[in-house]
Amino acid sequence: MKISVLANYALLIVGSIIVAFPLLLALSYSLMSESEIATFPPPVLPADPTLDNYGKVFATIPIGRYLLNSFVVSTAVVAGQLLTASLAAYAFSFLVFRGRQLLFFLFLSTLMIPWEATIIPNYMTIRTIGWLDTYQGLAVPFMATAFGTFLLRQAFLQIPRELWDAARIDGATTFRFLISTVIPLSRPALGTVAIYGFLSTYNQYFWPLLITNQTLMRTTQVGIAQLRFEETLRWGLVMAGVIMVAVPTLALLVLGQRQLIRGLTAGAVKG
Amino acid sequence: MRKFLGFALALTVVAAACGGAAPGASDSSSLAPAKDVAPAASITWWHAMSGVNGDALNKIVTGFNSSQSKIKVEAIFQGTYDDLLAKLNTAIASNAAPALVQVYDIGQRYMYDSQQVVPMQAFIDRDKFNTTDFEPAVINYYKYQDKLQSMPFNASTPMLYFNKDAFKEVGLDATKPPVTFTEITEAAKKLTKKDASGATIRFGFGPSIYGWLFEQLRATSGTLYADNGNGRDNRATKVVYNDAAGKAILDWWKAGVDGGYFYNPGIDNDGAANAFNAQKTAMYIESTARLRGHITTVAGKFEIGTGLYPRPDSKPKEGGNIIGGASLYIMKSRPPAEQQAAWEFVKYAMTPAVQGQWQSDTGYYPIVKAAYDTAPSKEWSTKYPQFLTAITAIRESPQNRMTNGAVLGVMPQARQRTQKMIESVLLGQATSQAALDAAVADMNKAIDTYNKANP
Repeated sequence: MKISVLANYALLIVGSIIVAFPLLLALSYSLMSESEIATFPPPVLPADPTLDNYGKVFATIPIGRYLLNSFVVSTAVVAGQLLTASLAAYAFSFLVFRGRQLLFFLFLSTLMIPWEATIIPNYMTIRTIGWLDTYQGLAVPFMATAFGTFLLRQAFLQIPRELWDAARIDGATTFRFLISTVIPLSRPALGTVAIYGFLSTYNQYFWPLLITNQTLMRTTQVGIAQLRFEETLRWGLVMAGVIMVAVPTLALLVLGQRQLIRGLTAGAVKG
Repeated sequence: MRKFLGFALALTVVAAACGGAAPGASDSSSLAPAKDVAPAASITWWHAMSGVNGDALNKIVTGFNSSQSKIKVEAIFQGTYDDLLAKLNTAIASNAAPALVQVYDIGQRYMYDSQQVVPMQAFIDRDKFNTTDFEPAVINYYKYQDKLQSMPFNASTPMLYFNKDAFKEVGLDATKPPVTFTEITEAAKKLTKKDASGATIRFGFGPSIYGWLFEQLRATSGTLYADNGNGRDNRATKVVYNDAAGKAILDWWKAGVDGGYFYNPGIDNDGAANAFNAQKTAMYIESTARLRGHITTVAGKFEIGTGLYPRPDSKPKEGGNIIGGASLYIMKSRPPAEQQAAWEFVKYAMTPAVQGQWQSDTGYYPIVKAAYDTAPSKEWSTKYPQFLTAITAIRESPQNRMTNGAVLGVMPQARQRTQKMIESVLLGQATSQAALDAAVADMNKAIDTYNKANP
């Protein structure tokens, strides 16, 4: 028994080292000087850790502002997606109306349209309403999500139909049932949509690059691109930037995970 | 890969956006006389320079803005060259392009075919702007049918980098670096070092599989890359590198790798540079613009020497190096006042003082020869004497269609394709002739498609 627990932990530790290795290496490189990184064979740990690279990141780009922008935009997108996707998924799972199936498949079919094909129309729309260089221009186009709707619909379908009937008998309105029953029971799914939406917005590169021109409105990924020089790649500097950009999302993931697990167990106990 | 994707995207966009616009090459007669056009109060300039180079660029802009009070230039970083081009095309489609853009060397034909550019020659002719002091090798690269399409801005060439300490260690003359294919092979054999177990701890020579390097080897071989004078007399209809000279380049490269004295970092320019920094290779070929980065990174661990770019043993006298880098385009869709303001800025950027400072800040060539007489440039040449090799290389290169370099609308794809070609040969997946023929066949199809889409 005890040995198997130890073996489990050993396996998990090895697994987590493998998974975390790229990130740990990035951390280690961000603490090395450029000439140390260039030695062969490449060192794994810095012999003489230095925070120089972090200082240089601050000197090169306004990283604080970029982080703030990314957070504002990603949070707005998450809020928007949760609102639109849960309402749409609710309609597709609990409400009965003519053409529901057709509408749902139409919804899903938008997943097949490559994002690249919509860049120019989206850009022209945003430009026409004067949203270039604004938070709403960065966030609003992503506030509705077919994928999130699909995911939530599947989760909502898991909720027993009997609950719906019981709620109706007790006199709950359609909206009340969504707020009091469906949403609390679907926390893991909502959490998944939120984390997915947050990370994919946070990691966007081309759209923010496209619609922003002022330095103050740019986001983190555009910032990292600014750390890459055309002729010489300075790994230490780039890695320092990557770490600074990655840490907040990792923190969020850790916090979010706790939410996810709590939601999952809550459902499990109820059976 | 990103290069290719970005470009493919851009291509689709332009094909859709400007199918039947006015002819591209307008002449000077379409421009109003300079005295009739008051320059706009502010213009936007999109560029792709980040880090140190971005700082140097902003220095030029600040200098211009404070040198006069009429025009204010705003420089905006728009990601890599490919990102910038993709963004430019989206902007063109909705009439939001800036007045001035920096586009990389291989985007030249593409910019011309987009019909969105006022040729630089139109401004030069109208104002009788004197370009006699411009570096011929640099300025010729950006000419089509002998008209300058854009103003060269940042220019570089490749050269041989070598580890002087390693040369001394094995008894090679560090003042006479190898130049011909055979000389490089011989030197590489001597420089290759193995440990007791037989593993190689230092390779003699280690170039990245980089399409640009192949284009340069075609040029130092004194041969064309594409037909119609490398696409400069007329639009190219096919690539022509599957000849004896092309085979000689690949066979030389392959023999070195097979012999164990050429290192193959793969399609990885930074990997090749790092291997040289880490003394895993004793020689390699790369852009002059990397010189300062190397000197900083190596930090005195060994002495870096530079030499002329490799060429065949016959040292063809019509062979030489092609310029690389990027240039500035004035966009047609902006009002004449903005174009005029952009032109004023371009003229400022081409003054010797600005060029000398730009060289010392970045390591790119000055476009104007008089810049070499300025203090920052002199200081730079004293600090980095290795740079003189590069200047010598382009000064000694004869100016002809071979050394002007190829212009193709599909140049980014062509570069990708040659990389795949070289890789397949080095990995022994194809014989050199078969790989050359396959690449040429693919590219000719791509050129054909491009030419049909851009009549």
